Amino acid sequence: MRLPAAPTEASFSSRLRSATVAARVGLWLGICFGICFVTGLISHYAQNPDHPIPLPTSPSWGYRVTQGLHVITGTAAVPLLLVKLWSVFPRLFIRPPKGLRALVVEALERASIGVLVAAAVFQLASGLANSAQWYPWDFSFRTTHYSMAWVAIGALVVHIAVKLPVIRGALTGDVDDTTYDRESATRSGALSRRGLLRSTWAAAGVAVLATAGSTVPFLRKVSVLGVRSGDGPAGIPINKSAKAAGVTASAVSPAYALTVASGAREVALSRDDLLAMTQREETLPIACVEGWSASGTWTGVPVRDLLDLVGAPRDADVLVTSLQERGAFRRTTLQGNFADDDRTLLALALDGDTLSVDHGYPARVIAPNRPGVLQTKWVSRIEVL
Amino acid sequence: MRLRVVLGGLGALVAAYGAYLLLSRQDTDQLVNAAVWLVSGVVLHDFVLAPLVLGLVYAGARIAPPAARTPAAAALVVLGSVTLLAVPVLGRFGARPDNPTLLDRDYRAGWLALAGVILLVTGVAALVRSRRVRR
Repeated sequence: MRLPAAPTEASFSSRLRSATVAARVGLWLGICFGICFVTGLISHYAQNPDHPIPLPTSPSWGYRVTQGLHVITGTAAVPLLLVKLWSVFPRLFIRPPKGLRALVVEALERASIGVLVAAAVFQLASGLANSAQWYPWDFSFRTTHYSMAWVAIGALVVHIAVKLPVIRGALTGDVDDTTYDRESATRSGALSRRGLLRSTWAAAGVAVLATAGSTVPFLRKVSVLGVRSGDGPAGIPINKSAKAAGVTASAVSPAYALTVASGAREVALSRDDLLAMTQREETLPIACVEGWSASGTWTGVPVRDLLDLVGAPRDADVLVTSLQERGAFRRTTLQGNFADDDRTLLALALDGDTLSVDHGYPARVIAPNRPGVLQTKWVSRIEVL
Repeated sequence: MRLRVVLGGLGALVAAYGAYLLLSRQDTDQLVNAAVWLVSGVVLHDFVLAPLVLGLVYAGARIAPPAARTPAAAALVVLGSVTLLAVPVLGRFGARPDNPTLLDRDYRAGWLALAGVILLVTGVAALVRSRRVRR
């Protein structure tokens, strides 16, 4: 018995696998990756403790929009990437050219494509898993997703530079133009090129509608594959429960007291002391890196009022410590401009009811235009840095 | 040409910065794990998913009635890619007993409803096409 021969580039005869299709899908894929990259940089910067250039505290829904866009465009990119890879798949089987110089050029281009594909698949797969809080790996998600974003966008720019003449020609010509086709790509199949493109746009649209309800309230009913239904105590979902944070006992302990400190001055306040202070009500969103978000009406003490109790200077960064004993976000920095903003609260109630323990009872931070991981729950100490 | 050289150089620099970030901020075990994931993505696409799609298209072209081929191909693009991106929620791998607000939908029912709608549209389109051919 003879084994079937390995496929060659000529084995693929569908006329759909054309540069005119690849360039059109690639254009939208590039736009999605561009939006993902910029919104990802914003999110990464927002999570850094130090902000050499302060982030604005307004609009309060800014992070909700940028991070929602990040996950929505990343999700839409999945069908786009799959069709893009399908349209150029025969190129994987091109035989190496003769001559050393040609071989080196070909090897370099192949290596850059390999890096681009590996980075692109990795970004989408790891991002999707993270949005569902699934971490089947040992590396740090934040560091790796952030580093690979630079690799992906760099390799994409290299790819555009290499292919620029073909991209230009393919996009300006008709989709059925055959100038850039491989010789064997002549067989018409079930779909026309326009049909394949329409199917691809439909797939990206369905992908978005089926998931975006986690952050776009009016899509909740149709987003059957969304990571959150949007339900939860007081209508707000939870990222980390009190049990997961190991605070089920300490959060409800009668011995709880909040410490506010600035230099040598320090005050301790019980929850009743906090309730006795002037309360303020703010409608602010919780928007998480996983892409879900929800708006809530919070009541509590403005953080600035607490800082005034110990004579803290204005525009000073503040370290917020949680009762939780472990975790990367046990301690977070509340930058000076956020600490001074009137809307930044140490919230005691949500939607008119006492904060549930999973939402951060006895007290939590809620500030405008910030990633959810920094809206520290179960706050035990507020200290001027 | 000059624009392309500048663009290519810029892209290479940006990618190199990413590689530097990746290599300088984690220990060896984490890097090996990340490398395994990076290579696995390419291998899974090129040697599992792509042949699978080739097989599906090959079989579909022989089994499906002519009028159904175009709608079926469109349905494969939509349902196939949406199913793939739904793997993390369909498996509910990240679900936690202490957090009922996470992954709190019936994803199998949702997927079945979505697949049902797509297949219904495919069926209607096939029917319309076969009538058109007969006339």
